Amino acid sequence: MGLSPVVGRRGRRAGGFTASGLALVLSLAALPARAGGDLELGAWLAGECITCHRDGAAERGIPPIAGWPEEAFAAEMRAYRSGGRLHALMQMLAGRLSDEEIAALAAWFAAQE
Amino acid sequence: MARVTWTRRRALAAAAAALAAPHVRAAGAGQPKVVVVGGGAGGATAARYLVQGGGLDVTLVEPTRAYYSCFFSNLHIGGLRSMASLAHDYGRIAAEGVEVIHDTAIAIDRDRREVGLAGGVVLPYDRLVLSPGVDFVEGAVPGWDITQAGRMPHAYKSAGDQTELLKAQIEAMPEGGLYCMIAPPNPYRCPPAPYERISMVAHRLKQINPTAKILIADPKDHYSKQALFEEAWDKYYGGMITRLGPDFGGDVVSVDPGAMEVDIDGEVNRVDVCNVIPAMKAGWICDRAGLTEGDWAPVMPVTMQSRIDESIHVLGDAADQGDMPKAAFAATGQAKAAAMAVRAALLGARAFPPRYANACWSFLAPDDVVKLADTFRAGEEKIERVDRVISQMNEDPALRRRNAEEAVAWYDAITADIFG
Repeated sequence: MGLSPVVGRRGRRAGGFTASGLALVLSLAALPARAGGDLELGAWLAGECITCHRDGAAERGIPPIAGWPEEAFAAEMRAYRSGGRLHALMQMLAGRLSDEEIAALAAWFAAQE
Repeated sequence: MARVTWTRRRALAAAAAALAAPHVRAAGAGQPKVVVVGGGAGGATAARYLVQGGGLDVTLVEPTRAYYSCFFSNLHIGGLRSMASLAHDYGRIAAEGVEVIHDTAIAIDRDRREVGLAGGVVLPYDRLVLSPGVDFVEGAVPGWDITQAGRMPHAYKSAGDQTELLKAQIEAMPEGGLYCMIAPPNPYRCPPAPYERISMVAHRLKQINPTAKILIADPKDHYSKQALFEEAWDKYYGGMITRLGPDFGGDVVSVDPGAMEVDIDGEVNRVDVCNVIPAMKAGWICDRAGLTEGDWAPVMPVTMQSRIDESIHVLGDAADQGDMPKAAFAATGQAKAAAMAVRAALLGARAFPPRYANACWSFLAPDDVVKLADTFRAGEEKIERVDRVISQMNEDPALRRRNAEEAVAWYDAITADIFG
């Protein structure tokens, strides 16, 4: 049930942008190429996620998802999409993501740490 | 259209005349200019996403220096949250590069692409984003107008004095007294909110005045999450709450604030508190700018551009966009879509197809929270609902407690997204 061991608590909240993950838009050019996803697409799609998932949030309620390794993130989303992982709201949101979009989100959130 | 233009011009001229020498910001060299009117969930989010990546001069116009969120203000009435916990300021938005002006936009000259502020400043724009929220329809509840809000509060705009007044009135009710809500007709801001408020009022009264009664006069046949609310009211507040729908005259209501009386289909009730939530319409600046059809401002589904003026985007509660509820979550998603469209139009930035969603949590009791979430797509004519998940009746209390934790986490996340 746990969201995998990779999600550490991070107190970092410098400047506000890291909290929302927006800084990525500024630093896209500086990022190394990722194996999978389109980071600009990921940044756009992530706007929906961060309405609820706050960087630096406590694990209670809604977990932080910034900084997850790409593979773990993508596996979680595919599990929601297939219905293997239970949470009706997340199943619905993941259910409309293509493989390309999951890869984009995974790359974007992985780049947040 | 000519009349509208004349009115607009005249208003702007009047605003200008109010000051000896109005200051018109230079529209010359430099970056494209985007003005955002309204610093709530839609406008503040739009300003932050517009300025990200650089290349635009972004100005946010908002009269108040502290924003008290309407969302979660029911929890203050219920005694679950402090007013201070609902407060947010614009300091981080300003630090991110948005020019924040605390003033009121009073006129829009669409031909000249200028916004006039009450203080005399005139702001030129290449694109304008309007997120003015709602105003009340005059005469919607006979006997009530905004000057009576000190007797019969609405407590339905940004939280603050109205919320505190309503809370104080509830807490001062005589033993066994009567609280009455005049519920609004569709469409209105935050569909489950009046009924969450009833739950929170009942929760508070159960603690301090358990023989008090709650009466709702409601012009709607049905309302959001109705079965879930009714189940909870029976479970937690049995016998306290009566709702009169249109089949019992709940749509034929007038009030007498002086006498503290409510007339429901000819039957006069003496009440101790009367919470009047009138019918709503787009914030008045939309009408002033000639952007409304009926009570709301019609927009295009992909970009949230006004159907009347493509250089203006209308967000949030004021927009007639289709199936999305008027809610903070919805407004932030619309703001991101609009910001992307503006950056694409003015800077050639990449744009992706928008994909809208909304989720809302409603408190039935402190540890019993239900949720409703919808996904939407930008259709040809309107934003269309695609899918929905909603809490079920008779759910495991542990699940409802987890929903309560989710709701609090959501509040922290969305306000961080809106205000930085």
